[in-house]
Amino acid sequence: MNRIRKFFQFENIGYLYVLPALLYMMYFVGYPIIRNIVLSLQNVTVKTLNAPVKELIGLNNYLELFRDKIMINSLINTLVFTVACLIVQFMIGFALALFLSRKFASAKMVRGLLMIPWMIPITVTALIFKFIFSTNVGILNQSLMLLKLISAPVDWLTSPGTAMFALVFANIWIGIPFNMILLSTGLTIIPTELYESASIDGANRIQSFFRITLPLLKPTIESVLVLGFIYTFKVFDLVYVMTGGGPVNSTHMLSTYAYKLSFGIFQYSKGAAVANIMFVVLLIVSLFYLKLTYEEEEA
Amino acid sequence: MKKKVISFFLAMALGAVSLTGCSSSGSSSTGSQKTENKGTGDTTGQVASTTKEAVASSKGEKKAVTLWYYWETVKHQEILGQEINKFNESQDQLTVEAKYVPFADFKKQLSIGASAAELPDIVIIDGPDHASYASMGIFADLTGKVDVSQYYDGPIASCTLEGKLFGVPFGSNCLSLYYNEDMLKEAGQKVPETWDELKTTAKALTKENVSGFAFSGVQNEEGTFNFMPWLWSTGDDSLAINNENGIKALSFVGDLVKEGCMSKEVINWTQGDVMNQFISGNVAMMINGPWQVPTIRQQAPNLKWNVALIPKDNQFASVLGGENFAIIENKNIDASLEFVKFVTSKDEVKSYIDGFGYIAARRDVADAQFSDDLVMKKFAEQMKYAKPRGPHPSWPEISDAISLAFNQVITETSTPQQAAEEAQSKIDGIIKK
Repeated sequence: MNRIRKFFQFENIGYLYVLPALLYMMYFVGYPIIRNIVLSLQNVTVKTLNAPVKELIGLNNYLELFRDKIMINSLINTLVFTVACLIVQFMIGFALALFLSRKFASAKMVRGLLMIPWMIPITVTALIFKFIFSTNVGILNQSLMLLKLISAPVDWLTSPGTAMFALVFANIWIGIPFNMILLSTGLTIIPTELYESASIDGANRIQSFFRITLPLLKPTIESVLVLGFIYTFKVFDLVYVMTGGGPVNSTHMLSTYAYKLSFGIFQYSKGAAVANIMFVVLLIVSLFYLKLTYEEEEA
Repeated sequence: MKKKVISFFLAMALGAVSLTGCSSSGSSSTGSQKTENKGTGDTTGQVASTTKEAVASSKGEKKAVTLWYYWETVKHQEILGQEINKFNESQDQLTVEAKYVPFADFKKQLSIGASAAELPDIVIIDGPDHASYASMGIFADLTGKVDVSQYYDGPIASCTLEGKLFGVPFGSNCLSLYYNEDMLKEAGQKVPETWDELKTTAKALTKENVSGFAFSGVQNEEGTFNFMPWLWSTGDDSLAINNENGIKALSFVGDLVKEGCMSKEVINWTQGDVMNQFISGNVAMMINGPWQVPTIRQQAPNLKWNVALIPKDNQFASVLGGENFAIIENKNIDASLEFVKFVTSKDEVKSYIDGFGYIAARRDVADAQFSDDLVMKKFAEQMKYAKPRGPHPSWPEISDAISLAFNQVITETSTPQQAAEEAQSKIDGIIKK
């Protein structure tokens, strides 16, 4: 009793404050994660979904998946997709942010307009790009033919080699504003005096970019890249609408493959296992991100 | 003591505040904010109720029976709504309420519902999926409870698993060949009846912006649905593809694309897309179902077109489509059965099936259907050659293997031989399980 009373002393009241949030997180975040892990260790298909006792088969689902060509491809696809999008989005976004940080009349308006791709629902974007990349009626092929860059229409979305390119292209278009706006915000907090005094000391543009802008922008860049990685890695709707993982399973991402396994061919446990593999990758990246922000707060 | 109580509640209140703060920061670190802001294509939560609410009864409590369906055609929804209203007014014990679940989400919703024990009382389900859900054990056994002697064998087979009846067919459809009469006349061609004729006709019809022929080849059930008539026309069975016949069907489809009379883009075209290409004159002949007839008549009143049997190799063949009623195994079975019996009774089916663009699954209704509609009559004739997919509890997996095979051939990522071999080994693995 004494111990309980002691616990409820003023300095410990903080634990109580945290309790509701903890319960909430445990129920809405913790439970699904654990449930999904358990599901991935069982063998749940159409036949066993309603069985009272579900057989545990250990890591068999994972072992089978790593022998599955489509699974390995989806993993590689997701990584390639994420890295390719991230690099290009970041570079273009950064260039635009630098450009728009200069004080000219329409800078604010242009920045606003550039946010539009970010605000359109992804399904709509995906449908638009599906039309753009269409072989016979797509505007891209028409334009390229007019410019005499290609002699015959390219099968953008119907051949395995180019479908991935089309997806990356569409996703970059969506992702640029996100990079641009975060980097723009980062740029505004760099005091202009630094650039002024640097130019008095005789530094040229390139020097002040590498010596002032980049180092001061480092925390922003880190979070843009990490958040960008997480967003891009989880891509689903864009791929689902544009190619549905095809042609011939060549553009499946982990997310679309997990969906297909679970709700297309009723391999619930395997679907859960794929989702868990995704979860592990993202967990590692998130921990890395938390560590970065923690270090910065410390410093 | 009082103070402690107050401070406890204060703590709870503060906790609630920090909870909202926590959840929003949590979502930004995992990135789900993006999807929230952008409104993804996922419509899980948005199950819209499109049917008119049943007339409220003044005589006490009525028992509610819920029904899920996925028909997106407005006409279909209206007819279902009318039938439900009719039933609700015909008696004062039950009220049926219908819920629309998009087709893309239907299987997902049903699977989630099955594991969470939150299911409706009745579902209107796609024929080939029936066996899968029946094997999950969520459907009630209706053997002996419904008189199905008047039904065609194909539709009944699609709701039967291991000799037990797990549903009642709603109505059926099948695929046939649509052709643009003007284009055929212009090219001096007659309607093809065999595979060879189809290929030569398609070639003759192919011009700069016109493909001679098209069918939906998407890599899912819809594509499989459109591929099966070719496979079966060779005299083959859906579960054996790695043989002379299977390879012949795959090669034929691949050659249509290779020789330029079918666009490779069919692997991204749904049946609706194929119909749109046909209406806009980009495609001269297509494979499609009778449910498109009202739409084509409405959207392209000046287009001259007609329907013929799908050209054959060894025998005429088509694939059976359509939906079945299934009753969920719960305490409402008897109430649900009453509604299903009402909707599938001869007189009711007769009253709505023509407007639906379907062929009745009841022989006693289908025989007298479409006496003055030659197009629909052709579909009714094609029905004689229509076979059901499966029925097998793992049909979705088998279908996945088949649709991959013809996609590989169309995109030329595999030869027909390789594709057939790969598909066969998968199918064998699935059947053995």
